Amino acid sequence: MPDIVAETYRNQMNELAGTLPGFDDMRAQALAKFAEAGIPSPKSENWRYSDLKRLRENALAPAAAHAAPDLPAPLAEVAARLVFVNGRYDETSSDLGDLWQAASIRPLANHLMANEDRASELRSSDDGISMLNTALVRDGIVLSVPAGVEIEEPIEIIHIMENAGQAAAHTRHLIELGEGASATVFERFVGDEDSYWVNSALQARVAEGGKLHHIRLQEDGPAALHTTSAFVSVGAEGSYDACNISLGGSVARFEVKVRLLVDGANATIDGVALAASGQSHDVLAHVDHRMPNTNSDQIYRTVADARGKSSFQGKVTVAHGAQQVLADQSFKALLLDRTAEANAKPELEIFADDVKCSHGATIGELDDKALFYLTSRGIDPATARQMLVEAFTDEAFLRIKNESLGEAIRARVGDWMQTHAATPGNAA
Amino acid sequence: MLTVKDLRVSVADTEIIKGMSLQIKPGEVHAIMGLNGAGKSTLANTIAGRDDYEVTAGTIEFEGKDLLELDPHERVGEGIFLGFQYPVEIPGVSNLNFMRTALNSVRRYRGEEDMSAAEFMKLVRAKAADLQMDPEMLKRFVNVGFSGGEKKRNEMVQMAILDPKLAVLDETDSGLDIDALKVVANGINAQRRDDTAVLLITHYQRLLDYVQPDVVHVMIDGKIVKTGGKELAIELEEKGYADVA
Repeated sequence: MPDIVAETYRNQMNELAGTLPGFDDMRAQALAKFAEAGIPSPKSENWRYSDLKRLRENALAPAAAHAAPDLPAPLAEVAARLVFVNGRYDETSSDLGDLWQAASIRPLANHLMANEDRASELRSSDDGISMLNTALVRDGIVLSVPAGVEIEEPIEIIHIMENAGQAAAHTRHLIELGEGASATVFERFVGDEDSYWVNSALQARVAEGGKLHHIRLQEDGPAALHTTSAFVSVGAEGSYDACNISLGGSVARFEVKVRLLVDGANATIDGVALAASGQSHDVLAHVDHRMPNTNSDQIYRTVADARGKSSFQGKVTVAHGAQQVLADQSFKALLLDRTAEANAKPELEIFADDVKCSHGATIGELDDKALFYLTSRGIDPATARQMLVEAFTDEAFLRIKNESLGEAIRARVGDWMQTHAATPGNAA
Repeated sequence: MLTVKDLRVSVADTEIIKGMSLQIKPGEVHAIMGLNGAGKSTLANTIAGRDDYEVTAGTIEFEGKDLLELDPHERVGEGIFLGFQYPVEIPGVSNLNFMRTALNSVRRYRGEEDMSAAEFMKLVRAKAADLQMDPEMLKRFVNVGFSGGEKKRNEMVQMAILDPKLAVLDETDSGLDIDALKVVANGINAQRRDDTAVLLITHYQRLLDYVQPDVVHVMIDGKIVKTGGKELAIELEEKGYADVA
């Protein structure tokens, strides 16, 4: 990475001085580490499937403010709609509904203004992308659901990128669920055709008995670079249930790390990625079982069309003495063409002896016998292929509780098949 | 209705059907009998249009149309149904969704409107009841966890819903106990009309006790070696293929 890249980002960081109270020192530390670590290369194990070449050569400018964005149509009744345009909270487009009555919800700057001492809670992992997010974060939302409060409808966080070619947005969201609280956070990523970079991180803390559902629908523009992460800790009898749907972007990577900190904590991390020509989707999921009696389950289904690539790195760690852990991981990839690519890298690191951990990974093509069976009943080949792909992905959607969201997301698979892969000529 | 002329078919470069001809008229039930490997299933799959079956010579006409020019789903639209020897399991696709999509695909091919969900449910429940199929099985994934007999019953329900002009039933009787065999035979007989035809492909004479064929063909090594009435099936059962042919 040329020195000018770190230097440019340092200047960008200086421009942000004072915008997030109490945070300037942490920015500076993160940038210093970034200058050393640089932009990850595919030589780094965690980034081997996502090539950030564009970022290694040039620094991207901060995306400029943009008014009156093209808001995506709602997919379900939501408790609140929080809109970020080019990395900035857009109050005009957002709608807090009645959520403010049940939960505390405010932009990151306001949160830190009230709690300067809590700036240290904003953390980075040890890679350059995360450090850059800390150094350059401009905005984010802080949602805090008090103990016992159950919020039924999803809370939608929309990231929109418009007119942000060769520019970047760094956001950071904090979600806190009190004891026994529950909420569904529905993150959406959309954007135009420009080659922007969206770099967003979410941190969540689920207290005892809390239940956080986290649904992500990534529909970034075709030239977008998408690097996002979620860092979650779960308390006793609490749960984190995630479903990540990757459809857009040119290079898109999502990293999720869940720490199960106390007995009885659970996590399910599911997802579907549909990669069309020229797209690379990469998910790195890490569940860290710190204590006994913690469970996790992961179901990932990916589909790649001609020259599309989907990758899954699933890591499960079980700490010393964390007995009676159940951890399961299932990754299946479907290749619709001989030029499609899928990568699977399951990893288990287990330091306890009384645990049940399993993983399975398969990579295959559509079943010819099933296709013929469907067509032999009068179903045209494109519809038959679509039915089989919908059936293949469906397993990963079963834990989406909100029906409207589940339906809308399932319909995305059919739409994708119709636009990208339903032509029989694509068959390998 | 169906005219097969001098047909030759290869699978993976091995010739399986070595010149056969066959004519089926409306209202007729034909049975093709023969040992394993005689080419019976190859004929069924070729009529249905399966990919790996390469027609190297001859023609198949269905109601005056060149069947070999049509894709498998188009052949169904024209009125052909293949009952599978080994029905395929399709996890994730419900039986109901499968049958409704199939029926509406065929209707669209024929320029008809889709059938409404309510009308379809009425139809499928009635057909399932005729074939003594537990309605719960309609909600399950296609053939997943079905017993051999249940799979064949499911084939018959699909046939009844699609109501084909020509049903080609490939070893539909295999793996059935006597009760299931009778139910399946009733399904076939219900499909038997003046304007429809059935081509039964079978190994044994057993099914023919319940579904009386008009014409019986004996197939050996890719060719029809003998054609007769239903008494030919009985003769085969008694004397074996070697003697009859």
